[in-house]
Amino acid sequence: MKKGLSVKLGLVLLLCFGMLLSACSSTKDGNGSATKGNVGNKEDAGATTTPQEQVKISFMGHGSPQEKDIFTKLIKSYETKYPNVKVEYTSVPPAEYNQKLSTLIASGKTPDVFYVSGPQFYKYAEAGTIQNLQPFLETTELFQEGNVWKQALDRYRYDGKQLGQGDLYGLPKDVGPWAMAYNKTMFEEAGVELPPAEVGKWTWDNWLDAAKKLTKDENGDGKIDIYGGANFNLDGAVWASGGDFIDYSTGTITIDTPEFTNAMQWVADLRLKHKVSPSPEDEKAMNSYSRFVAGKVGMFPMGPWDQPAFWDLPFEWDIAAWPVNPATGKAGTWVGSMGYSVSSKSKHAQEAFNLAAFLALDVEGQKQNYELGQAVPNLIDMAKGEFVSYDKAPANRQVFLDIIEDYGHPTVDFGSKDTKWLDTFRQEAGQVWDGKMTAAEWAKELQPKLQELYDKGNK
Amino acid sequence: MKKRKPSYIRKEYAWAYLFVAAPVLGFLIFGVAPLIYSVWLSFTSWDLVTPPKYIGLENYVEVFHDEKFYKSLYNTVFMMLGIPIGMIVALLLAIMMNRPIKGISFLRTIYYLPVISPIIAVSLLWQWILNQDYGLLNQTMWSWFGIQGPNWLGNASWIKPSMILIGVWGGVGGTMVLYLAGLQSISTTYYEAAEVDGASAFQKLRLITIPLLTNIHFFVIVMGVIGAFQSFSQIYVLAGDGGPQYSAATVVFYIFENAFKYFNMGYASAIAWVLGLIIFIVTLLQFRLSKKWVYND
Repeated sequence: MKKGLSVKLGLVLLLCFGMLLSACSSTKDGNGSATKGNVGNKEDAGATTTPQEQVKISFMGHGSPQEKDIFTKLIKSYETKYPNVKVEYTSVPPAEYNQKLSTLIASGKTPDVFYVSGPQFYKYAEAGTIQNLQPFLETTELFQEGNVWKQALDRYRYDGKQLGQGDLYGLPKDVGPWAMAYNKTMFEEAGVELPPAEVGKWTWDNWLDAAKKLTKDENGDGKIDIYGGANFNLDGAVWASGGDFIDYSTGTITIDTPEFTNAMQWVADLRLKHKVSPSPEDEKAMNSYSRFVAGKVGMFPMGPWDQPAFWDLPFEWDIAAWPVNPATGKAGTWVGSMGYSVSSKSKHAQEAFNLAAFLALDVEGQKQNYELGQAVPNLIDMAKGEFVSYDKAPANRQVFLDIIEDYGHPTVDFGSKDTKWLDTFRQEAGQVWDGKMTAAEWAKELQPKLQELYDKGNK
Repeated sequence: MKKRKPSYIRKEYAWAYLFVAAPVLGFLIFGVAPLIYSVWLSFTSWDLVTPPKYIGLENYVEVFHDEKFYKSLYNTVFMMLGIPIGMIVALLLAIMMNRPIKGISFLRTIYYLPVISPIIAVSLLWQWILNQDYGLLNQTMWSWFGIQGPNWLGNASWIKPSMILIGVWGGVGGTMVLYLAGLQSISTTYYEAAEVDGASAFQKLRLITIPLLTNIHFFVIVMGVIGAFQSFSQIYVLAGDGGPQYSAATVVFYIFENAFKYFNMGYASAIAWVLGLIIFIVTLLQFRLSKKWVYND
């Protein structure tokens, strides 16, 4: 009988503790620093002469399995350089990243170093979730302000009120210039002049001409099989016309200005009037990326991260400058960026900063990154030197650099904390792309709604 | 005077309570506590990063002025059309499956299979079937009948019917099993009596089978409505952005977007409670109305 009792008791305890444990176990892997009393490690952690206390920091990012491999390697070399530091690296699928990170922050288990971008960066900087990195900059020889793209660094500045100026709260992981790729083989077979690499040589009219010549119905079933161009970038077209989505200094949505609506109408007409681009419906059936990869689109936007996939294409391709709006003589496109930030609750801020700096600026890492076709180097001398002359496609690598230095614009959401207004814009834009409304009518109707959404989420 | 229970019985009771305590504690900690917390959250503004800030009824006021909320509510209610369609199909299937044919259990298994298939995998398969240019459905329609099918998932007015189609396909097996059980509990004497009176097959269906299944109809409708109000997964897979012009987004999808895309936890909680209230009222109404039409013997 006694044996039976203890078995029962054990079962009950097991059940209860099982539940408690499952609730607690996740506390451990998030912030696994077992050591304490190491706050404010002032010594230069780069000095490997004296054996230091073992330190553990956590790092969270996202990306493809390929990116994960690169980072695992980079972290290994970081650990060799700083033998007292152990890095716990977590990589989550990009779509779940913000969700996971926010939950970790809410439960007080913020990773020491993590990816940030755009709206999240703004929110975290304002809330004090991430640290001001300015005081750490002198502790590393890796950081040479003049040798890092200003366009990239400025994304991570915050002066207590606004983005783009003040102290650094993050270091760039990459700069992502949104360039225009074209199918060289298709152009040559159709006998169409190749898009030039220099800005200003091609206007929107040239682009449209070329696109018309490339667009074809191959089997005569009345449906277009090959489109001259796809996804002509609305954001870029707007900026090229001198308009914008929003004036962040006053917080006014400006989609109802003629500059904006004309640009939008022009992009919409590429499909509605000229039929050189797939419609949003065609897009849902087979997205333009797949169409380009299948050799069924002539001109298509791409970021540096698309390179590895494009290297395997059965046709020749290159990148070109975005055409300019003939009215303004200007081109426009966006430059994306992701950065590394350090949690303000990090117990090992110096080590965490060292990791961020190493990942962002170490020569070896930057080299590996561009050789594997992941990014344009953050280091200007490397980008202008070996990167431009690297012998893999695209040949016109200078185009990437021109965009970063010259006409690239931060993405529209840069400056918003809440992006509901922008998502609503993109959802509702279908009315214009389908030709149900003109851009001007539509924008006039939508502007007050967007303004309300923006004010609600960003005041 | 009450007699004290013998000690061995009291011991048994103690053990019983201990065992019961485990799931009850689990429910309290992981069920009730978050529920109560979300009531509090619905009166705050919380982005997960900064501490929640009390803002009174503001969230609730906003819900009732939110165009997107109404749009998602409309979508959700529209997709409930799948419930009657599913019931009709399931009833017909059940009647067919209720006959002593060879291999009947194999057929029943086939119709039940979608119910136990993971919804994500099923949704991905449907994504292929419903693709405009390369999908099985449109290809078949084109090569057999020469009809160019619509863009099932890419067109604002077709995406909801597509969702209904997928929902019916996925749910019909479960309803069929319920109806089968119902059919088998109808005494054959009714049919025999009807036959003697010369009733046709349709009359038997309309006057005997359907009325005697009312308790099943009722159960299916109540569960179907609650399930439809809570539908999320297939939308998340097939229309990750809410579909063209937000025409596929359900209320729960909108809650999810507010919570984990825009991180307005307070607002998301408020919508969740409004939705909970709607479900409660609708279900209550159904129970009230059921007295008028559900037949219990």
